[in-house]
Amino acid sequence: MDLAMSNSGAAGSGAASRETVDRIKRVFVSSLHLNLTEADLAYEQQLDELVGLDSLAVIEFVTAIEKEFGIRIEPELLRLDFVRSLPRLSAYVEDRVAQVRRFSA
Amino acid sequence: MQFRARVPKQRAIRRILALRPGSTPAQAVKIARHRIDSDLFRLWDDLLLPLPSYAQRLQCTGIEEIQYLDQALAAGNGVILLTLHFGANRPALKHLATLGYPTLSLQDQTSRNPRQGRLGRVLRKRYIEFLRRSYPDVVYVQDPECSLKILRRLRSGGLVHMNLDVLNVKTAVEGAFLGVSWRFPVGVFDLVRLSGCAVVPMLCLTRSAGFQIRFDPMLDVVRAASRDEFVHANLPAFTGVFERQIAAHPEQWRPWTWR
Repeated sequence: MDLAMSNSGAAGSGAASRETVDRIKRVFVSSLHLNLTEADLAYEQQLDELVGLDSLAVIEFVTAIEKEFGIRIEPELLRLDFVRSLPRLSAYVEDRVAQVRRFSA
Repeated sequence: MQFRARVPKQRAIRRILALRPGSTPAQAVKIARHRIDSDLFRLWDDLLLPLPSYAQRLQCTGIEEIQYLDQALAAGNGVILLTLHFGANRPALKHLATLGYPTLSLQDQTSRNPRQGRLGRVLRKRYIEFLRRSYPDVVYVQDPECSLKILRRLRSGGLVHMNLDVLNVKTAVEGAFLGVSWRFPVGVFDLVRLSGCAVVPMLCLTRSAGFQIRFDPMLDVVRAASRDEFVHANLPAFTGVFERQIAAHPEQWRPWTWR
């Protein structure tokens, strides 16, 4: 079973807001010290190139997202196919943030 | 075999004399000879590992200070078992798995010998495949998902094995080791920094009757935000524990003879 699909389906079934997507893009650029503007960013292509150069870049990015949004991504979702899909990642992050808010309320 | 062993032995003697200032030439020769012998033991161990009866043939003669590993695991952030290239790492990992400590081991699929020919590359590929069959819980540095797989294991509270003294390092940090400048893989430090996992040094020694495992106390990791700060704050503690391992068991440290 594709855990990434099943979990993101449960957690990120809807489309993420533009704001969340933009925040993730900003984290991507800043955490990896990329010399890019958001307009230049072809997210998947850039991520693939970075991972090809250094697989550690992806965990630098993942932990930066967690810090930015105050969430913890579940271990079973730590997969390249999940992280490189910006719509799925954004939807998941939004759902996790909502979960954290519900727990802390 | 005598002729083939002579070149690495001479290389080892030169390195031992250079890196262990207290050693006399006679001691260096003795250490180098034992070092070559332990390579033969290791090859023999590799051949035995896939056999169903390996545990009878390749006995663990003792595990010391396993409480350090249990304490680190109890923290729940995962543990990196950090080793140098000593003789018995592979049988030790397999034995630990049978005791309920399954460990993901980070390996390199490529050879450290840049002058190896086509036959060497083919044989290396087969050897790696052979080793993977005897210990399948491995991830290769060539895998683009390698660091995510490691993080996944650590986040699940599991164990990951890594060597600190690797030769093929893409991104390295330099530090003093045995009195000279060495290149260490920055990935070890990044994983510890980003995952918040514990680090437990492990020593796996080949003995005539089998092999022996010893754990050192969990390293006291200084947390820092940036890679440079983190490496600067922690490298001396990481290398110090392994310098002591080499000082105590120089004959079993494999890189003496590496090119």
